[in-house]
Amino acid sequence: MSGRHEELLEFLDKSGAELYALLTRLTLREDVAEELMQELFIKLSRSSGPNNEIGNWDAYARRAAINLAFDWRRGRRHAALQQLDEVPDPVSNEHSPLGRLIRSEELQETLDAIGRLKRASREALIRRYIQQESYDHIAEQMGKTSHQVRAMCSRAVNHLRRTVGPNHRQAT
Amino acid sequence: MSEIDENQIHERLKRLSQIEPAEEATSQAMQQVRDVLTKQQEEHSRVAASKPTALGMAERDKAIPKLRLRLPPLAVIKVAAAAMVLIAAGVIVGRLSAPSPIDVEELRAELEASLKSSLEPAIRQNVLDEVNSRWQSVFVANCAQLKDELAQQVRRDLTQFAAQSLAASGVQTQQQLRELIELIEAARIQDRRNIEAALEHIESQFGNGLVTLAARTSELQRLEQN
Repeated sequence: MSGRHEELLEFLDKSGAELYALLTRLTLREDVAEELMQELFIKLSRSSGPNNEIGNWDAYARRAAINLAFDWRRGRRHAALQQLDEVPDPVSNEHSPLGRLIRSEELQETLDAIGRLKRASREALIRRYIQQESYDHIAEQMGKTSHQVRAMCSRAVNHLRRTVGPNHRQAT
Repeated sequence: MSEIDENQIHERLKRLSQIEPAEEATSQAMQQVRDVLTKQQEEHSRVAASKPTALGMAERDKAIPKLRLRLPPLAVIKVAAAAMVLIAAGVIVGRLSAPSPIDVEELRAELEASLKSSLEPAIRQNVLDEVNSRWQSVFVANCAQLKDELAQQVRRDLTQFAAQSLAASGVQTQQQLRELIELIEAARIQDRRNIEAALEHIESQFGNGLVTLAARTSELQRLEQN
């Protein structure tokens, strides 16, 4: 138990900042990312029991973080609409308030569309375009070939092109 | 349906990738995770310390044979047999003394029939009362309206009838008056003719006698006056 604890703390030191950044990018809220980070590590500590050996901590943690972030997004969509005062400021602090709001809405819309992708496509897209990882690294982590990852990313981007934008907004 | 430009998608994804949390927030989040993990570890340790029997499988295995050695095997068998006999007797007595199982279906049917017989007339009566009261209220409302309409209709008819009667009687009166005038006129003509005939007859009978009578009458009057 103590060994696993040390292992987790080591992993936290090594990849914690990156996981927190990933959660922040996917939720656009630092406070939520903080909560999800705790949830993620509790999940990791429970998943790493004697009967539950995790081969690749990094891949497992990233996948779990992505799933947690999109679960939160889905839950938030079902919850009651927030008051205008409660709408959080976007993380980026550029330009005028209106510009920031528009940019934030665009990002929310894009993230919602990413949330509608299949899990594998979503993971590949996020790791490639949001986390800026190489195709080879993603392929290695996901247990696929680089070519497959490229195809998945391409399909995901095409899907986003169809589901993001004014047409989709009108349709919904 | 036009699609959004691929470059725009890439641009948005790039913007997402450029989002970086503040360093303070990152270190705070990591510290909190560290605290949570440490707390969890401490709790695990405390739970493990409070369970001395949960030291491990090997120690537990050692403890069990010691317990077995205290009781002779024959005594264990006897006690077990006695317990089995007692349990079997209990089960048999329980089975025999237990009331016959309730037939749920039968009970449900009976309950349904009884409820139906007791509730149906009351429900029917209630429904009838409700319908009656509704009809009555509707009828009362409609009756007043009908009464008003009927009174108005009768008034209209009477007015029309009176006007027609007046017109008819006026025409008739005029006609009768006209006939009366004609009759009077005819009677006057007839009278005039009769007088004329009489005068002619008198004239033919008396000739100038009347003139003479008149002259003599006036002469006699004059003489009387003198």
